[in-house]
Amino acid sequence: MREKKLIRKIVYHVLVILFGIAMVYPVMWMISGSFKDNAEILRGTLALIPREPKMTNYATGWKGFGGTTFATFFKNSFIVSSIATFGCVLSSSLVAYALSRIRFRGRGFWFTCMLATMMLPTQVIMIPQYLIYYRLGMVPGYVPLILPYFCGQAFFIYQMMQFMQGIPRELDEAAEIDGCSKYRIYSQIILPLLKPSIVTTIIIQFYWKWDDYMGPLLYLSRPQSYTASIAIKLFADSASVTDYGAMFAMSTLSLIPVFLIFLVFNRYLVQGIGTSGLKG
Amino acid sequence: MKKKALSLLLASSMVATLLAGCGSSNADTAPTTAADEETTAASDTTTAAAAEAEEATTTPAAENAVSSEPITLRMAWWGSQDRHDKTIAAIELYESLHPEITIEYEYYSFDDYFTKLNTLVASDEVWDVFQLGGNFPMYMDKIHPLDEYIDAGIVDTAKFSESNLKTTQTTDGTQLGLTNGINTYGIAYDPAMFEEAGVDLPTDTWTWDDYHKAADAIADSLGIFGSSTFLSSDFIAGCSTFIPQQGDLGQYSFFNLDLTGMGFDDPQMLTPFIQMRADMINKGSYPDAGASAEVTNIENDFLVTGEAAMTWVAVNQFPTIYDDCKEQGRTLALAPVPRYTSDGNAGAMIQSSQMLCVSEDSEQKEAAAAFISWFENDVDCNNILQAERGIPANEDVRAALSENATEGQQIMYDFVDKVSQEPMPEEYNVLSPDGQNEVQDNYLNYIQQVASGELTAEEAAQKTYDDAGAIFN
Amino acid sequence: MSTAAVAVKKNSFRKFMNSNNTVGHVFAFPFIFGFICFSLIPIIMSLYYSFTDFSLGSKQAEFIGFANFIKLFQDEVFGKSILKTLQYVAISVPLKLAFALLVAFVLTRPTRMVTLYRSLYYVPSLVGGSVAVALVWKQLFARRGLFNSLLTGVGLQKINWFGNESLAIYPLILMAVWQFGSSMIIFAAGLKEIPPEYYEAAEIDGANGPAKFFRITLPCLSPIILYNLIMQTISAFMTFTQAFIITAGGPNNATMLYALEVYNQAFKYNKMGYACAMSWIMLIVMSIITLAIFKTSRLWVFSESDEG
Repeated sequence: MREKKLIRKIVYHVLVILFGIAMVYPVMWMISGSFKDNAEILRGTLALIPREPKMTNYATGWKGFGGTTFATFFKNSFIVSSIATFGCVLSSSLVAYALSRIRFRGRGFWFTCMLATMMLPTQVIMIPQYLIYYRLGMVPGYVPLILPYFCGQAFFIYQMMQFMQGIPRELDEAAEIDGCSKYRIYSQIILPLLKPSIVTTIIIQFYWKWDDYMGPLLYLSRPQSYTASIAIKLFADSASVTDYGAMFAMSTLSLIPVFLIFLVFNRYLVQGIGTSGLKG
Repeated sequence: MKKKALSLLLASSMVATLLAGCGSSNADTAPTTAADEETTAASDTTTAAAAEAEEATTTPAAENAVSSEPITLRMAWWGSQDRHDKTIAAIELYESLHPEITIEYEYYSFDDYFTKLNTLVASDEVWDVFQLGGNFPMYMDKIHPLDEYIDAGIVDTAKFSESNLKTTQTTDGTQLGLTNGINTYGIAYDPAMFEEAGVDLPTDTWTWDDYHKAADAIADSLGIFGSSTFLSSDFIAGCSTFIPQQGDLGQYSFFNLDLTGMGFDDPQMLTPFIQMRADMINKGSYPDAGASAEVTNIENDFLVTGEAAMTWVAVNQFPTIYDDCKEQGRTLALAPVPRYTSDGNAGAMIQSSQMLCVSEDSEQKEAAAAFISWFENDVDCNNILQAERGIPANEDVRAALSENATEGQQIMYDFVDKVSQEPMPEEYNVLSPDGQNEVQDNYLNYIQQVASGELTAEEAAQKTYDDAGAIFN
Repeated sequence: MSTAAVAVKKNSFRKFMNSNNTVGHVFAFPFIFGFICFSLIPIIMSLYYSFTDFSLGSKQAEFIGFANFIKLFQDEVFGKSILKTLQYVAISVPLKLAFALLVAFVLTRPTRMVTLYRSLYYVPSLVGGSVAVALVWKQLFARRGLFNSLLTGVGLQKINWFGNESLAIYPLILMAVWQFGSSMIIFAAGLKEIPPEYYEAAEIDGANGPAKFFRITLPCLSPIILYNLIMQTISAFMTFTQAFIITAGGPNNATMLYALEVYNQAFKYNKMGYACAMSWIMLIVMSIITLAIFKTSRLWVFSESDEG
């Protein structure tokens, strides 16, 4: 019996690891590319070990462009992503509470509007949107990159709505009988129970914002204010040459913060949480 | 608790930064407007002065008038890290020579540059000095022509040859900008591979037929592509060049001179070229769609990886691949674009790889024009730039740079000289109409359809002709 | 004013503040504000542009009625692009979700290695549609790439992935499936929310692994499955980057996903009005599909709350 269990365990781990390696291979290739020179990257070997590993890509990459280093770009990205993520969690949970828990006039209408905002391609929306921020005098600047995240993001509003559905209504009702207002139900009952959903929002939204380059491209203009996502693209010039080595090196560094965020918050998805109040 | 305090601190400092940002930008606006009036006044003096004096005296006069008030110019370009660093160094040199001028620069990758430009077009705030390539018809409304500044002596074109100036002119002679580098198309090849396959080397007057046969023979004997892909440029340098190569000099052109219609009547003039491409793909002497998708960049073109004996290049790309192949112990050479008949027209012409323009939205047009003039004419500036954008159009600059040119660059300089000596029609148009991109993309798909037998070459020629004609309807 | 009157006023104010209508609008305010200020006008503008010949360079837009829409129905590339997009959505979304759910389910076992494994599976989703990934993908599917050497290794024919019109879409689909991380995390969060008591009760009833999965996991997770299905469907329709950087729509428009075609029309060919018309047609297509999913969801989504 014990032996059988052990074998099953080994098979499980071997399978998961093998498959995991296949999954990560392309990423490893990028990381190993950051230690290769341009010629070796472009000759297209699929081998992961560089012929002669070198750190020069990191040095040339980090020094950035005309005196603005990647320290600046990463700092900008971090500020923008952190604030936007904070705003997104706060506003999306508020809106989700309204749409999932409160029967008010226009609820269905706003829900439809919310889905509709996701259904038009950015390509046709971005110029009129740019003009609005421009007329409001917010361009160039970080405000247009952050402000919309304080207005709720459809993807996360809907996600939180679905998670709220898993929270028994009896809890709200009991609290209401005790004299709790809706505002307190949100902050004292719903929000704490929404933790897994909030954690996924933080992980995903932070990464999306970190990776987003269309927004920064449209709304920033001084190179000193660029985020890492645009800066990385500055190594590529389809019309002349692309420094793939430096680009891979900075892409690799750019993975670290988002991966750390994932590691920190992933703990909350592994440990059992949120079960205490659910016995109702 | 500690975390809360920290995030509060972060947020408040952020707000402070934002507010500071707003304040300073407001502060900036006021002096700019003042400087603006100043410049207008200065430009009057300049024009008056230009009437009686040499340009040598006017330029200092203009500078004296302007130097009292600070001027801020906005400038943008696209390119690689190397270009960004060099251009910034050149800008810093200009600022040190003209303390009253501050240049706020922005730089992007190619696609991003145009996305950004589109938003600025929409909000009427295009950079004072901006870079444009072959797609400028789309931005014609935003280009402020340089003619008045050339007349006033602010923009110096003395050292530009007529044909180099023409690369950035409309057919009626309006000077849209100054070219950053002149360019033309050619075929880079590896002579050793030709010899190995027992094929004659390209000559200056080789024909498409020679090209086709050489490619097939190389594919047969070496098992590699005879000629590599030219991606989008197959339309510009191949298909559309094929038309002026036919008939007498200046008889046909792909689009007519004033860009209001086609420059030839018989669509079937395109057929042989399309048929050749499809035949080459089926033969394996030219990459099919799958193979050409593997080429991401000129540096992993099949010629460079040793899987093709020729490739088509815009010649400013030649030094890069020459050096890459040199490292592998191979020596590349550069041949002209093949002709329709060996005694016929070359069809190729000197073009501008990209140019600097003054924007219609600019409030500092004159200062912007003066900067462009310096950027293209000053030897010190170009010693920093090192012809990275293409071959300098100014003779003196080019002479200065070619003294320490690399082997690859020297071949490029000689090649451009050779092409510019080809007889040119009295009138020709270097511009292409807005809408050419779509014609080009469709054309590339038609070739694949001919290769797979879905279309005949005649039908593809007719469709390409109709697509191109549709631009003008 | 007497104290009684103040009390009444205060009371009615409190009543007003706690009425469902007020609370709903207060909580939904961020969205309503953002929607009206920053989304509504652009949406209306794009609808207006779709009836004009608006282009980005010259800013004049002339009203041309339904001309764009009529032209769309004769446009071969657009027709092909709709079909390819539907194919892409229909294959990539179910695969991605099944995969994400499977991995999330396997990786909820309470072992110390789970964090490591989950990280391993999440990393691909952190590289997005970068140039680096595009290069790798091109080389994996190149004529002499890894996939072809695997094929020849087991005695099969090589495949010209990017040259074959019917196969070129699969590398893109595989890439979408490969980046299943965000769906996986959301599923994982959903799985954590299922009360362990349910499983305990089922075990007492003698349910085995698969039975527990189908009788407890799937029903409890169904609101999250619905959510992921809707969101992944919409974002699959919007897929742009993969097609843009890997195939650029080729060969012969076989991977011309709709968002890429919109981009080409709007920016490359400079026909913004036409691109807007295209977007609105697709908005209708997407709305119909979304609505259909919502309608069928009544049959398979179980909800703790009394309504969905």
